[in-house]
Amino acid sequence: MAPSPVNILLVGVAALLGIGIYGLMVSHNLIKLVIALQILVKSALLGVISAGFVRDEIQLAQSLALTVIVADTIVAVIGIALAVQVRRRIGTLDVRDLSKLKG
Amino acid sequence: MAILCVSLCILLPWIGSIAVWRCGNNHPRLQHAVASVFAVATGIISLLLLLNPSDAPIVRIPMGDFFGELTLVPDGLGIILAIIASVVGSLAVIFSIDYMRGEAQLGRYYALILFFIGAMSGLVLSGSMLLMFFFWEITAFCSYALISFHNDDPKAVAGGVKALIVTQFGGIGLLLGALIIRSYIGSYQIRAFLAAAPTLESGVLSAIGFGFLLAAMAKSAQFPLHTWLPDAMEAPTPVTALIHAATMVNAGVYLLARFYPAFEAVPGWKTSVMLVGLLSALLAALMATRSDDIKRALAYSTISQLGYMIYAIGVGGIFASMFHLLSHAVFKALLFLGAGAVIHAAGTRDMRRMGDLSKGMPVVHATFLIGGLALAGLPLANGFFSKELILETGLLHGPRWALIGMLAGAGLTAWYTLRIYSMTFRGKSSEFRVVHGAPLAIRSALTILAACVLTTWLFAAHFSSLLADSLPYHSIRVTTNISLVSEIISAPVTYVVLLVIVVGGALWLFRDRISKVLRIPAPVMQFLESGYGLEAPYAAVVRITQQASRVLCAAHSGQLNLNVAGISAALCVVLTLLLVGV
Amino acid sequence: MDSIAFRWLIAFPLLASPCIYLTGRLGQRMKRNKVAQVVGLASLIAAWIPFLLSTNDYATSGTLLLRLGNISLQMDGLSLLFIGITLVLGTLVTLFSESYMAKEAGQEKFFAMLVAMIGVMIGLACASDLFNLWIWFEAMAVTSYLLVAFYRDQPPSLEAGVKYLVQSAVGSTLVLIGISLVFSQYGDLSLANIRQNATPSPILLAAGGLFVIGFGVKTALVPLHTWLPDAHSQAPSGISAMLSGVVIEAGLIALLRCLSSLSDISSTWGVLLMSFGCLNMLAGNLLALGQKQIKRMFAYSSIAHMGYMLLGLGISYYTNNPNGAQGSFFHLINHGIMKGLAFLAAGALLYALRILLNRHSPLHIEDLAGAARLYPIPALALSVAVLSLGGLPPLAGFTSKWQIFVAGFETKNVAVILLVAFAALNSVLSLAYYTPLVNVLYRNKPSKDVLIGGHIPWSMNLPLIVLTLLIVLLGVWPTLVDGITASAGQALMRGVVDVSSVALP
Repeated sequence: MAPSPVNILLVGVAALLGIGIYGLMVSHNLIKLVIALQILVKSALLGVISAGFVRDEIQLAQSLALTVIVADTIVAVIGIALAVQVRRRIGTLDVRDLSKLKG
Repeated sequence: MAILCVSLCILLPWIGSIAVWRCGNNHPRLQHAVASVFAVATGIISLLLLLNPSDAPIVRIPMGDFFGELTLVPDGLGIILAIIASVVGSLAVIFSIDYMRGEAQLGRYYALILFFIGAMSGLVLSGSMLLMFFFWEITAFCSYALISFHNDDPKAVAGGVKALIVTQFGGIGLLLGALIIRSYIGSYQIRAFLAAAPTLESGVLSAIGFGFLLAAMAKSAQFPLHTWLPDAMEAPTPVTALIHAATMVNAGVYLLARFYPAFEAVPGWKTSVMLVGLLSALLAALMATRSDDIKRALAYSTISQLGYMIYAIGVGGIFASMFHLLSHAVFKALLFLGAGAVIHAAGTRDMRRMGDLSKGMPVVHATFLIGGLALAGLPLANGFFSKELILETGLLHGPRWALIGMLAGAGLTAWYTLRIYSMTFRGKSSEFRVVHGAPLAIRSALTILAACVLTTWLFAAHFSSLLADSLPYHSIRVTTNISLVSEIISAPVTYVVLLVIVVGGALWLFRDRISKVLRIPAPVMQFLESGYGLEAPYAAVVRITQQASRVLCAAHSGQLNLNVAGISAALCVVLTLLLVGV
Repeated sequence: MDSIAFRWLIAFPLLASPCIYLTGRLGQRMKRNKVAQVVGLASLIAAWIPFLLSTNDYATSGTLLLRLGNISLQMDGLSLLFIGITLVLGTLVTLFSESYMAKEAGQEKFFAMLVAMIGVMIGLACASDLFNLWIWFEAMAVTSYLLVAFYRDQPPSLEAGVKYLVQSAVGSTLVLIGISLVFSQYGDLSLANIRQNATPSPILLAAGGLFVIGFGVKTALVPLHTWLPDAHSQAPSGISAMLSGVVIEAGLIALLRCLSSLSDISSTWGVLLMSFGCLNMLAGNLLALGQKQIKRMFAYSSIAHMGYMLLGLGISYYTNNPNGAQGSFFHLINHGIMKGLAFLAAGALLYALRILLNRHSPLHIEDLAGAARLYPIPALALSVAVLSLGGLPPLAGFTSKWQIFVAGFETKNVAVILLVAFAALNSVLSLAYYTPLVNVLYRNKPSKDVLIGGHIPWSMNLPLIVLTLLIVLLGVWPTLVDGITASAGQALMRGVVDVSSVALP
């Protein structure tokens, strides 16, 4: 079956999702985790845009995507701010050292 | 007027509870006074309930769809138990004036006791099963809080928590039964259920019946859910006398008696009830013969006597069971309060360290003797009449083998009663010297109870007509005092029982000679003393739960990567389930 | 029905938040340190006015609607219930935090964020559109990230914040992917239209699954809950109360809105919710059993209580009958009050025993030995909260659990009845860890920490007293909130109303 645009987009979404989650499960550096989160959000954005493409509602999809970019940028900023604080107070960016709270 | 009496029976102690708490622990004498006033007032008001028994609800509070109508019904069964709760409660409070003198946190103590008294009256006066469960749980909470009153003592805390968990677990039986009833007949009212019971399918009725039996077993400390009661003896003795002898443990018996007409016809129910009673009566009596802690021995005795009451229900003798409930509440409270006076003076609960107290504490000695007569079932004490009635009913309506077991129990009862009495009040002199007799409040409470022990059997006729009039679904036979007494005197089983009692007493008196002839192997004794190996399942359950908790806690490693892995795993599982189709 | 009060209800907290920050900073310049607290408290109390007026409008004319361009918001029974509990808890927490945060730097940020979080949750409850729901949800998440990691000097607090952020962001993204799937089916994101046009299809089932997991991270479904014990125990106690009391419930409500719009597709949503309910109850209770730190124990207890709510809601979805949902919503109100009280009482003791002494170690159960004699009000409040959480009458926890159980038995389905029995057993199990806490509080011999503890001001004791009285009131008079919970249950079953249709009650 010839890959239709929609199928390619779906594969793209799934791939980005997979890479993002894999990154979150494997990375130990806080900054890499934030980047993996960003990849995850990009997969969602791709999903939104493809959905708009499928339904012929690109305008709506674009406004949704812009809003999501704003929201996710805020989250990324907070994430990096936390990473900076962690580096300052705890002295490491390795998430494996951030496991004092357990049980 | 009746509405006022009924409501006050519950609300007055609750108001008193708040009043005592607000007095503050800096004014202990005020606390003693306020608590006594409220308790005695409640006792008097509960006696007024006798004027207006009715089997229709006199207090109705609608509470919407899910909670039904909350009703209070002062029928004979409820009134008697409410009177017991309030009157014995007031005597326990009076006793506490001296017993708890100088203790800390009295506000909490009296508040909880008063809260309990109100809740117990509420439990037995409820006409709605939801309301009954509501009060059931409150009494369980008060029992836990009072057992663990001395919070600094880990044994007390452990005893309290254990009591709470076991009785709550049994309470699930009551909860499920009540909910099943609601879903089938649309109402929580006990009357409605008793009327509609024949129309329910037998599977459903069995489920409810055995659920209630489970709840009763836990609350009344019957085998095999009895292990909480001996551990509950860490409570201050007035608490034990009130809650664990006279009132709360009767709630299970009350439950079975109240719902008896509904479950009479359920196959196997009556036999199970009878078995539970028989086993508890015998096995607990055996344990009482071995215990050296006076309160523990009396606790086992309580389990055993409750077994008698439950056995009576199992063979259909509701009146006999309730009559014995009344007698037992009075004489057991007396025995516990007497034991409390002894413990207070001696500073120990170990009977091996007591002895020859009859001279130093004359009032305590005399009243304890009267209580002991009642427990053993000797004439002129109320215990004699009620126990005979139960055994006679058992002879007429129950299987022979069960009766023989109960007779053996009567013999054992005599044995351990005589043992407790002689180890405490007779025999070699104890290690300490009792300088003075018991204080006034203690003596008054004991004397009043002793008087009751000698006289409550005189109310049998009135009692039976009260029950018969206000319990339309139970078939209670009305009797007069004369016919009751003559029935008992003329029945041959009475003399068999008296003989068994004498034999039991003799077994104790000649125990040295007997133990030379009859040697019981050590493993059997160990099995007996460890509670027939019934502690093991409890310990196992506790261990497994704690183990599961530890495993789960260890799984929370705090590693972020693993947490995200958990999320993705859950996602895969849910998506698979949804797409493949559950 | 367009309602001015409704407009103000949505707008006011959001407008107040930057004002609090600005006036707080100005106040600091002028050396008056209490400005942020006072303005914060005042704005929340002022927010009650539009809320009460909106409630009145709702009572007279049914569901309220509001349109801002393409966005429409509506207030139905469910929104009303959630906004109510948010405002109650929010006002009391703000009063409580006034002294609790008195020594901290950055208070104006704290109160501004708190009021913003409340405002955003009000918006979330009123969303009638999938994407709008997601935006409010994200905003709530962002404000809560900042509040959880407020103690940025403390490593445990930072750790909790990092983990919370990463996991919550994963959840939000999954929801977004689900939204895009729904969008690809219908081109329209209005919840009402989705409900009307929904047909069973694998894409919608996948979307539903993504919603469950995505919102489930925020709602603390097991095994997505791992962020919760850290975040709830490390946040300032007022925020812990808000988190356990309303924020995780906000996640639940968002989930319910989405599932209601998809409810005609499949009957498995009910089974799914009930299964998660069982997992939550068991895991929450077993984990709480092993805790020695008080706030961590309460956090796990929140997971268990979420399980009871899920059970009732699952029963409703399974049988298409609002009774279970009504019980769950009653439990939502009660849990907010009970858990809020528990965290606030523990917070008051934390304040006296740690913060006033400039220590930051967590509070252990044994540290509270004998606290009742020196701190009677927090000890009593804590005992009432904890016994109510264990389901003992005459307190509120008993009545809401009972209502859920009744709904379960009404189904006359053996599996559901067994689940209810399981829930009752779990309730008994929970007493095993709640009651030792009460025993420790009422010991005669105080611990060293209690002896050197500081004084608790009235502004902390007052919220404790109010919440305790509420718990007792709802325990003896459960029908007080019947109207609210019934309309919320109806709203859930009915789904979000179509914007253009006539207002329904």
